[in-house]
Amino acid sequence: MTNELIDRLTSDLKPIPLRALEKRIWLALAIGLFATILVGPLVLDLLVGRPFGGAWGNSMFWSKLGYTMGLGSLGLIAVPALSRPDQYRIWPLLLASALAVLALIVGTLGWMQSDWAMPVLMGGTAMVCPWLIIVTSAPLLAVLLSVMRRFAPSSPTMAGLAAGLLSGGFGAATYAFYCGETSMMFMATWYSLGVALTALLGAIIGRYLLRW
Amino acid sequence: MQADATEKRMRELMLAALDGDAAAYRRLLAELTRYLRPWFARRLSPSHASHAEDLVQETLLALHTKRSTYDRSRPFTAWLHAVAHHKFVDHVRRHAIRPTVHLDDDAPIFAFDDSAHAADRRDVDAVLTEVPERTADLIRQTRIEGASIAEAAARHGMSETAAKVSIHRGLKSLMNRFAGGSK
Repeated sequence: MTNELIDRLTSDLKPIPLRALEKRIWLALAIGLFATILVGPLVLDLLVGRPFGGAWGNSMFWSKLGYTMGLGSLGLIAVPALSRPDQYRIWPLLLASALAVLALIVGTLGWMQSDWAMPVLMGGTAMVCPWLIIVTSAPLLAVLLSVMRRFAPSSPTMAGLAAGLLSGGFGAATYAFYCGETSMMFMATWYSLGVALTALLGAIIGRYLLRW
Repeated sequence: MQADATEKRMRELMLAALDGDAAAYRRLLAELTRYLRPWFARRLSPSHASHAEDLVQETLLALHTKRSTYDRSRPFTAWLHAVAHHKFVDHVRRHAIRPTVHLDDDAPIFAFDDSAHAADRRDVDAVLTEVPERTADLIRQTRIEGASIAEAAARHGMSETAAKVSIHRGLKSLMNRFAGGSK
């Protein structure tokens, strides 16, 4: 029985390129981002009516881009290690939480200076922002999770969470191009919520999809 | 030191296998089977000991399909241990939720009574030494353990009629010996 299995596996052997796991993740990221860039104008511009570059020239645009790309990069650092059975790298996820807390503190200080004015927190799009971030992140998350099915995460839930953080971060970065909000508090609250929901979604799907 | 030598040899085989060397791969899998079988057998409870072979195969299969997750700069033994451990935990979890006992294993609970009639059983054993061993077995199986005559006959490789005769004669001789003649 076992000998037959060994025969079958041996005849099925194909060489594995160096750093194959990282290469697959990068490829998934490239395909996912490409899909997001296609989905962006279709959904956000045509369907929801958000023109590209809503906050061009505003310094807040760069803060949003930096914050979301930072979160996405932390997810990207965590994903390869969490995709392996013998590694467990949790610090990027903790650092992402710390970054969100920091953004909330800075945002709250700014909100305080503007005398707790409600528009500073809510902007004009607070109720749709987190959902649209999930929509923008969905293609990347789908590609990433389907690639990660071939990996062997020590914890499928944590691997899914990291994949969700990666997708949510880069998805939100894409969304930032279509978002006209200019308040720090808005970004710290609603962008963080959108990314967190995407990460949660990744964790829930990962728990079942990434089992091996 | 011995563990280091094993790690070194296994890792070399694994690296060669990752580059497509089928001979090295075969040697690796064959050698791992020898290590994994006792590794699982030690960890499994006696009632699940027969699952060791399944777990070995599942681990080999996981090694094959997940081999791209092995980082060449890290120890191979640690990676393999993580894979085997994952398969073991998975197995325990599955069987903890739905423990299954084969009917064959379950049935003989009532066949042997260890406490209440221990003295009776000793008497029966003592009495049965008076007849030939095969006849004693037949009587024990049909009259005490509840097997049918056909089953008991098949177990001893004899015809049903011969078994019947043998049991009858055995009981008759015992009655003559202990009950002072047939009633």
